[in-house]
Amino acid sequence: MGHEGALLEVRQVGKSFPGVQALAGVDLAVRAGEVHALVGQNGAGKSTLVRCITGVHAPDAGEIVFAGEPIRSWSPKHAADLGIAVVHQRTRLLPSLSVAENVHLGHLPTRGGLLVDRRAAHRRTRDLLARFGLDVDPTTPVSRLSMPERQEVAIARALFRDARMLVLDEPTAALDAEQASRLFALVRNLTREGVAVLYVSHYLEEIFDLADRITVLRDGRLVSTQPTSTLTETEVVTLMAGHRPVVRGAAGAGAGTARDADALLELEAVSTAVLRELTLAVAPGEIVGVTGVVGAGGHELARVLYGLTRPGAGRMCLDGEPYTPRGPRQAIRSGVFLVPEDPAQEGLVPVMSVAGNISLVDLKGIRRGGVLDLRRERRAAEDFRRRLRIATPSVATPVRSLSGGNQQKVLLAKALTAGARLLVLEEPTQGVDVHAKEEIHGIVRSVAEEGTAVIAVSTDIRDLLEFVDRIVAFRRGRVVADVPSGLTSYAEILDLTVGSAEAVAS
Amino acid sequence: MSAVASATTRRRVPRVGGVDLYSFWPVAVMAVIVVVTAARTSNYFTVFNFENILSQIAPLGIVTMGQAILLVSAGLDLSVGYNIAFAGIVTGLLLEHGQPLWLAVAAGVGAATFVGFVNGLLVAQNRAHPFIITLGTSIFLFGLDTQMTGGAPVNDMKGLYTAFGGTLPGGVPTLAIPFVAVVVLAYLFLRFTPLGRRAYAIGGNEEAAYLSGIAVKRTKVALYTIMGLLVGLAAMCLAGEINEASFNLAQNYELQSIATAVIGGTALFGGRGGALRSLQGVALWGIVQNAISFAGLSSNYQQMALGVIIVIAVMVTRAQR
Repeated sequence: MGHEGALLEVRQVGKSFPGVQALAGVDLAVRAGEVHALVGQNGAGKSTLVRCITGVHAPDAGEIVFAGEPIRSWSPKHAADLGIAVVHQRTRLLPSLSVAENVHLGHLPTRGGLLVDRRAAHRRTRDLLARFGLDVDPTTPVSRLSMPERQEVAIARALFRDARMLVLDEPTAALDAEQASRLFALVRNLTREGVAVLYVSHYLEEIFDLADRITVLRDGRLVSTQPTSTLTETEVVTLMAGHRPVVRGAAGAGAGTARDADALLELEAVSTAVLRELTLAVAPGEIVGVTGVVGAGGHELARVLYGLTRPGAGRMCLDGEPYTPRGPRQAIRSGVFLVPEDPAQEGLVPVMSVAGNISLVDLKGIRRGGVLDLRRERRAAEDFRRRLRIATPSVATPVRSLSGGNQQKVLLAKALTAGARLLVLEEPTQGVDVHAKEEIHGIVRSVAEEGTAVIAVSTDIRDLLEFVDRIVAFRRGRVVADVPSGLTSYAEILDLTVGSAEAVAS
Repeated sequence: MSAVASATTRRRVPRVGGVDLYSFWPVAVMAVIVVVTAARTSNYFTVFNFENILSQIAPLGIVTMGQAILLVSAGLDLSVGYNIAFAGIVTGLLLEHGQPLWLAVAAGVGAATFVGFVNGLLVAQNRAHPFIITLGTSIFLFGLDTQMTGGAPVNDMKGLYTAFGGTLPGGVPTLAIPFVAVVVLAYLFLRFTPLGRRAYAIGGNEEAAYLSGIAVKRTKVALYTIMGLLVGLAAMCLAGEINEASFNLAQNYELQSIATAVIGGTALFGGRGGALRSLQGVALWGIVQNAISFAGLSSNYQQMALGVIIVIAVMVTRAQR
């Protein structure tokens, strides 16, 4: 294979998980001293590829060659021993330990093999940090550092053991523009020292700012690897989407399709730590898809609507009345229900029965003379089991033994039990199979037909386009598009959420 | 995906009415002990002996029901031992000062209930582990108990002894009445009341319970208050039975009540279990203690046997998962 001078070579790598071919026949070559960007939509296979390279997953097919040697043993420790370091979006440092202790974790210098030599640890950490122009005291506990400082410490830790390759996974997600530019300077310094950098990011502008070459993945396959200088952002979006963005000039123009007169939900200039002056209206019976990359604002909107985050500024109205929920209890009482992202973690009580989980949101509804009418509870659950086709041996089965799609349906049954006027769904089809996806789309549509307003927050643009009436796209806390879903395309929305194309906000 | 895989590969467990058969292992063990002991001794199967077991386990059984309610909600109460003593001492001192029985009992039970309420507030407000909060309460109460009695027990419970120390016509110990009533009420509470259901939800997944609109804090306060009330009742039983109230009225009750609930099959970390299962644990506890004294062995062997039972209980619970 003719990748002369490549430090890392990924050859025909494939990886599948039950029901999903996450990667198929992917090639990638990263040279020493280059910044190599890896881009693709959610589910394109970026994370799986990164996990194979960093030893978390063993590939099913193909091989990965590092510094001329094929990797034969798969563990994060082995990858680190080879000189492959990774910094994740959410850095994993131990907050109560000092910077020096975090940098040296597992490798603290000792005196006589017993006592930790703190002075040596601090000196070495200071030298290391100075090398990257970082001004952090090695004795400070990590819990007292800011997010960007933690990121820098994480990078320093990654490079402490003379890493020859650094994998940065969404490193700027928690950083502002100035902090990001500091990070970029640090990355450039590293490449000058000959470190190879694999850079995974949703934001094309920073990739064009930093990367020497760009590799695009789509649906688990390699689309192309080209030098950045030969590409434009539009071309990259086209490669990611598989077709050209047709700019219909509709983005923004169709904004505010919800006729303000009969809107159920109205937000006016709502701001939080993430959202920037969000104005939005949703009509009864309307399904609004909210998208954007992770951290762009969709999930923050869901939290605001459910009273989990309180806006610092702005006004919210529900059915013409001011709406300021202090928590899920008040939200549910006002007719708002949230179906959270991770059913098993946040939405359901895993050891409780299907029937128990459904009735939990409205125990009053099955109460008769102060006690629970278990027969009525079971009948209601049986009803939902038929209507939503929940595949379960019985409604007495604990929900933890149900599949992801069926757990999602139990959550929707809960939402219907709550009698919500506004239903907020977070990643409603994440991790469910194609068949369950279609069923969930159908359930959501029929709920909307009965007059319930639905806000579906998802990073999966294609999935949203299949069932929503309108798409609202977020980028760094601002709305960059608000269009009827029939007037836009996957590529256009993708371009608006990741590219630097100037937003035509309403 | 992995959950489905493990569900199909998991060993089939025989089930009865939705509950797997292994949950009833304490019943089997009890049957064996009863048969063996009865075969080796002549006077085991006497009414008197079973009455004896019943009155011995009644106060602990009442506390175990409260502990089961808390464990289901992923809580627990380590202050029950000294809280029982506290209630007993309050009642005892009032009786000593010539107060009427009803007032002394109301004050004692009220005092224990108040302690439960405070435990609930502290646990709910601080989002701290109930282990450390109730340990703090427990140590505080130990100091208070010894301060109130000056170290010497109140040794005449007067009317309370008359009420609880004896037997009903037919020889059934009076203590059986509150014990059976509490078991039935705890069963009904956990199975049929909204509050009981909320306890399971909080214990099974507190985040999901909160997102479902359950008032998590208020529920916790209510559950700990119920525990306080049961502690007060157990205190009256215990102090009345032995006609005494001192700081060590209910030594080790905190750990014994948790142990019996867990032996019966109530999960230590919430979401699963209940009153009837916990009752199995209490019954096994009583029968083992009794059988060992029938065998003429010292109480040291009781402790050893109970230790073994706790470990077996943990192993059975692990195997069920």
